[in-house]
Amino acid sequence: MLGLGVASSVAVGSDHVVDLEVTTNRPDCLGHLGVAREVAAAFGRSFGRPVYTVQETGKSVHDAIKIEIADLEGCARYCGRVIENVEVRPSPERLARRLEAVGVRPINNVADATNYVLMELGHPLHAFDLARLRGARIEVRRARAGEKLQTLDGVERELAKADLVIADADRAVALAGVMGGADSEITSATRQVMLESAWFEPVGVRRTAKRHGLHTEASHRFERGMDIAMAREAIDRTAALIAELSGGQVLQGVVDVYPQRRIRSTIVLRSSEVRRILGTEVEGPEIVRSLTALGFSVEPEANVSWHVVPPSFRLDVEREIDLVEEVARLHGYHELPMRVRAAPPSPERDLRRERELAISATLTALGYREVIVPSMVDPAENARFTDESPVRLLNPLSQDASAMRSTPVPGMLRALRWNLDRGQTDVRFFEMGKVYTTSERTSEGLPAERRVLTLGVTGLRRPASVHDAPRALDFFDLKGDLGTLLAAFDVGPWDFLAEDLRYHEPGLGARYSARGAALAHFGQLHHQVAREYKLRQPVYLAEVDLDALLALDLRRRTFRSIPRFPAVERDLSLLVPLAVMYRQIEEAVGAVPLAELQGFRAVDRFEGGGLPADHYSLLLRITLQSPERTLTGEEAEVTVRRIIAALGPLGIQLRSA
Amino acid sequence: MTIDEKAGKTLAELGVTDSNAIARLFEQVHSAIDEEVRAFLDGDIDDGELARNAKAFRDRWLARGHGLIARIDQNWLKQTPKESRGAVGAEFNRLRQYAAAQVETEPLLEAWRQKTSALSEVRRGPDLTLPGYERELGSIHPVTRVQRELEDIFIGLGFRIETGPEIESVYNNFDALNIPESHPSRDDWDTLYIDSNTLLRTHTSPVQIRAMRKYGAPLYIVTPGKCYRNENPDATHSAMFHQIEGLAVDTDITFADLKGTLDFFARKFFGEKTRTRFQPSFFPFTEPSGEMAASCPFCEGRGCRTCKESGWIELMGCGMVHPDVLRHGGIDPDRYSGWAFGLGIERFAMLKYDIGEIQNFFQSDVRFLRQF
Ligand SMILES: [Zn+2]
Repeated sequence: MLGLGVASSVAVGSDHVVDLEVTTNRPDCLGHLGVAREVAAAFGRSFGRPVYTVQETGKSVHDAIKIEIADLEGCARYCGRVIENVEVRPSPERLARRLEAVGVRPINNVADATNYVLMELGHPLHAFDLARLRGARIEVRRARAGEKLQTLDGVERELAKADLVIADADRAVALAGVMGGADSEITSATRQVMLESAWFEPVGVRRTAKRHGLHTEASHRFERGMDIAMAREAIDRTAALIAELSGGQVLQGVVDVYPQRRIRSTIVLRSSEVRRILGTEVEGPEIVRSLTALGFSVEPEANVSWHVVPPSFRLDVEREIDLVEEVARLHGYHELPMRVRAAPPSPERDLRRERELAISATLTALGYREVIVPSMVDPAENARFTDESPVRLLNPLSQDASAMRSTPVPGMLRALRWNLDRGQTDVRFFEMGKVYTTSERTSEGLPAERRVLTLGVTGLRRPASVHDAPRALDFFDLKGDLGTLLAAFDVGPWDFLAEDLRYHEPGLGARYSARGAALAHFGQLHHQVAREYKLRQPVYLAEVDLDALLALDLRRRTFRSIPRFPAVERDLSLLVPLAVMYRQIEEAVGAVPLAELQGFRAVDRFEGGGLPADHYSLLLRITLQSPERTLTGEEAEVTVRRIIAALGPLGIQLRSA
Repeated sequence: MTIDEKAGKTLAELGVTDSNAIARLFEQVHSAIDEEVRAFLDGDIDDGELARNAKAFRDRWLARGHGLIARIDQNWLKQTPKESRGAVGAEFNRLRQYAAAQVETEPLLEAWRQKTSALSEVRRGPDLTLPGYERELGSIHPVTRVQRELEDIFIGLGFRIETGPEIESVYNNFDALNIPESHPSRDDWDTLYIDSNTLLRTHTSPVQIRAMRKYGAPLYIVTPGKCYRNENPDATHSAMFHQIEGLAVDTDITFADLKGTLDFFARKFFGEKTRTRFQPSFFPFTEPSGEMAASCPFCEGRGCRTCKESGWIELMGCGMVHPDVLRHGGIDPDRYSGWAFGLGIERFAMLKYDIGEIQNFFQSDVRFLRQF
């Protein structure tokens, strides 16, 4: 209920190990004390802190160690204590088991004590072998040019000048707030321990840890913001524990270098703001009770606002809104009211979405299945289909996915191949996605993204059945489907052009364009490409400029009155020279000014048989209609003759004549 | 007691006195006739035997004196006292006519002939049991399907759809959302970079920033789209995935609107009976922040495999838009407030269709796609 998600709870002996998910804003809950505080506040109970006494010898710590902070920005407080006559040995069973239960490997009594307090109070500490610190001196400073440090993990590190280090009289001995040095590590020979409990500035620790590729219990906490007040309590607690575990003596006093006391500033919390954000009234006494239980100091101001000072362990709380969240959290989200709020009505229409839905509806009606394929590709594979170089990633997962595609073709081919490899040989796919380009930039300087609709078809036109003979899909199926799709839009006149792209089978590529711009490229996949992709049957592909299509209006639906008089159909059986293409016939017939010509289409075409050489036969079905009357046979004949006359210059004759 | 035995007793002996019981008794006789006729027609009789068998069957029921009908006349009708004979008489007449129509030799033989000829006749016309000429429709990808369903719920509440680039500035993806490079929360997103200022967006939140700057307040939008993260694929993670986020900014927007609207949304998507639960969480771009869980749609909260026996399913992160984020969007946080949510569409699709592996979505297997 508090925002501490319980990831798991496991019984260990008579105890329970509860694994909590602590969000990055709550480093105070990275220890038992902080969690206890939260739970106590939530249930309105009190909680206890660890009880201990530090028994000090008469000898002063100031005679044993000198500490200086040269960089106050990086380290605001540094506490040191010294424990003498330490006997380094394994920790008692009970303590070792406790550490193991929370996932910490026991090492020796000194290291275990610091780890124990890390888990208990949440504050990271470090223990040095005092004998190995040269000059009995600690300096917190930035690393020097060319300075090196071998860290506890055995890695020799070249330090950057921005790295904050703990140094002795001569050299760096620890990476502040991240990891100690190998040379001053506690060993079984250690007799004197110098204990460090400090407060390091979060951003600096984060940068240093990242620079060295380290992530430690200490850096994890310091980069989130530790409790500067806790530095002192933690060192006392740890010193007491080390003395108890190792038989050592704690020297008198603490070297506590804390020249500029950190004071949290007061935040004003208004009851009006609580109401404005939460949508309900939270009673004043409850607000005071909640914040106080969480360690905030609260001064009421006429009960309409409060002066709140956050505790030193809550660096995440800086503003009024942060306090509103604390109030809501303890009040319980489940107690807050609910209201459904709709947007103010707007007459605006989402035309792009309407058009997108029209495309989906048309294609699914035509039997196409939508696929979604990865945007990230192998740039070498991408380059085989386009000259447009793809946007490359700085830190890709693999070479296979190291660039953002600039062509949708490989993705579609892989989708088809996946199915052919699995015996699924009749496939009709469409994909609506983006391609990304380096050659074009947006006004913000980002790589341009273009939307593209890709069609990929292969296999039989209809599944095999008893009702008709199986026939494979071909170029004209794809062309027809594209035509059906374009007809859903107000494209205006569109042009067909035979044009092969590099991956088209020669002579089997084409382009549709409208208003001077290419709308779609389509054709049969080149047999060599097909072979490389192990596509063992003809594949047809189309790339449609989706941005251009979505910019067009959907076909306007306007009613035209239905003709009152019947249409007349006439079939013309034509003998056409092989050199003449259908497009030329279309244009010639279209150019005849005939009011009655309603439409015409080719219904049969064949070559060979008894036909003259270099000719083919074309059956053209012509529909004639007049809005004023039923056409007589004579009138129809006149029209047909004019059409045949118009075809004469192409060398076309009427076969039956 | 068989019909033969019953026919040998009087109604009084059978204990049949009231009219209901009489009707029931005669009904039993009708049934007996039907059953015996069916047995006769189904019987394996050759043509030679047929006439003799039909005669025997007829006599069993209709022979004068000792046929069943005659005995029923004798024992049931004639033995009934005159004053109560009316009801029995009516039933008896109906029975006699029925028996004559069913059991008399000619109708019986005719029924037998019809039945045998139907079996041997050659069937004409098409075999109508062949499968029809079906046309296979295409299909919409389940992620798109769920995305549109989610969009529709919010469109119904007057929200508009906003989209933005997938290749984004680090600023829009992180800094403007209160996730500075210097804060550990930046590490919560495994990010794919193009260069130091450009990345593949890790969520669609940058579209919120863009929309706030473009339209100002009030603003009610949902932002669907592809997102990316630097993550090795497993059953529930994919380097590419789809997200939809929502944002409402207006005067007088409170946590109550967040709770109420998302609760409405969950009930609309998973069913009216769905219950929701809100718990505190942390996101740098919202405050207060929360997680919404819904009662498990599979077990209605009793506990099952999908909800890991908890009865609840975590659905999305949400919260009140952080004042700094509003400010980065050019909106005055003292005047306006807002709520926002973000969710993974694949996760919703996996829940809705009970899909176990996220990789199914991106393999384009028709055996998968055909199911949607
Ligand atoms: Zn369940």
